[in-house]
Amino acid sequence: MSLGALHSLRSAPFRRASQARQRRRFLAWCLAPALAVLFVVTLAPMVYLVVTSLTPLNLTNPATAWNFQHPWLNYRLLLSDERFLNSLWVQAKLSFWTVALQMLIGVAFALLLNLRSGLLQALRTVYLVPMVLPPIVVAIIWKVLYTPDISPFYWAFKALGWNVPTLITDPHWALWAIIVADTWEWFPLTMLMVLAALQTVPEELIDAARVDGANPWQVTIHVLLPYIRGTLMVAGLFRLIDSIKAFPLIYLLTDGGPGSVTEVTNYYAFEQAFNFSYLGFSSAITVVMVAASLVMSWVLVRMSGWGAE
Amino acid sequence: MKANRALIHALAIGLAVLVLAPFLWLLRMSFETNAEIFAYPPHLWFTPTLDNYAALWQGDFRGSFVNSAVVTISSTLVSMLIGVPAAYALARMRSRSNTLSLWIIASRLAPPPAFAIPYFLAYRDLHLLDTRFGLVVIYLTFNISLVIWLMRSFFENTPRALEEAALIDGASFWRAMISIVLPTAAPGLAATAILCFVFSWNDFFFALILTRSNAMTAPVAVVNFMNYAGWEWGRIAAGGTLVMLPVLLFSLGVRRFLVNGLTAGAVKG
Repeated sequence: MSLGALHSLRSAPFRRASQARQRRRFLAWCLAPALAVLFVVTLAPMVYLVVTSLTPLNLTNPATAWNFQHPWLNYRLLLSDERFLNSLWVQAKLSFWTVALQMLIGVAFALLLNLRSGLLQALRTVYLVPMVLPPIVVAIIWKVLYTPDISPFYWAFKALGWNVPTLITDPHWALWAIIVADTWEWFPLTMLMVLAALQTVPEELIDAARVDGANPWQVTIHVLLPYIRGTLMVAGLFRLIDSIKAFPLIYLLTDGGPGSVTEVTNYYAFEQAFNFSYLGFSSAITVVMVAASLVMSWVLVRMSGWGAE
Repeated sequence: MKANRALIHALAIGLAVLVLAPFLWLLRMSFETNAEIFAYPPHLWFTPTLDNYAALWQGDFRGSFVNSAVVTISSTLVSMLIGVPAAYALARMRSRSNTLSLWIIASRLAPPPAFAIPYFLAYRDLHLLDTRFGLVVIYLTFNISLVIWLMRSFFENTPRALEEAALIDGASFWRAMISIVLPTAAPGLAATAILCFVFSWNDFFFALILTRSNAMTAPVAVVNFMNYAGWEWGRIAAGGTLVMLPVLLFSLGVRRFLVNGLTAGAVKG
């Protein structure tokens, strides 16, 4: 800061007051366009979605648009719709297993890679690859691996003399096929989050435990994991919210089938809207999903201290 | 301890190969002939061929790539233009609102049909279905939030002293922003733009629903190709490889910011 500048600061207090006003106006101008655009592109469609969910809108029948005679009908239908209730159960299974496996593998790999070493540093980048691939390419990769004629897995099973069914068309295994692929795609994210958190654990804490005679396992369970539990919660919750969006894998591998064993809620909403044209009913399903993800996002915002400090 | 270290290294390498194997298999397939792909027992060595890529590039695939590039770059630019000043304002304002945080994070995490259904209906009336413009707009739903979120933390970490000195020397607020604030935040701007690019490029759901042929993007084109030529595994693999190539290069280039971007700032990577 130059001397002249300092001088003008001291001698003109009212100039500072007017500058503060200008500054506020400037910041408001910076913020206004984004808020306006966000309002138009996110909030308005959300309102439209809720309104649509109160109508029986079906594109093949124009009379169903803007028909509010039975506003709660879609929601009442939902409660007795077997396929919807089944989709919630499928979603619960998929979310539970993918989040659990991603946390488990992510933590295990992070602990393994948490050493000061150039080689491990370089390997981290390799582990990232599954999560940076476009989701549709991940789906193509697993489609190949689950297609018996061209899959190295099936060749290996054949060589071993095992008779393995085609997983993605087998009612007992289809959901597991999706779970395995999804875990492969997203464990790197939990791994990275945990790795970053592990690096914030103070050395002294670990040394103190060692001096007290703790072995590496005890250090991990009683010192490291409790210290990073905040990150573990955020990572788990984040993956949970994201697991509701599962789409490309299901679309390409099983198409919700066989039957409806892999038909998660998101996929059911997609089918109702864009295969059967029941946009009103599908909007109601989507409103339920949005509500669920809003509640979880709110918990996430509170937990990670995003809001007021 | 030495032996332990060697063991950990060996284990880490082994697991890395295992993790990478599915990806490498697709890469390998893209250079094989169909006869080679179906050969059992598989051959360890084969003569790589570029036929799959050549055939793909001569077909309709090229147009979808152009669409992907145009839509992705436009949406990234618009999001940066609108989002960066807002992020700066939020970083420099004292108060933080929980509602705004929730709004921004929720629009990043909302299930895709929540936007796909109203946009589909609105675009039908506005004749925006199957247009690049329509895709650019729907990608703003997640890109603007992403920009605001990432850039806000970048701006919070840049010192205010410089811009305040410029203001005292008589520069206007706009001038201070353009010549002081933005250059200091250049690495953050680059990383944010790349993440916007990656997320828009990777989108499958919105493009599947809002485009038919004219504005079809590369990820949808690959899947379409699978539907009418499902036995052409070599070309499918080549298509997948082409779709992932730009994203892979870009995102490994910004891997330091990746976690931050993927979690919309939930955790600093």
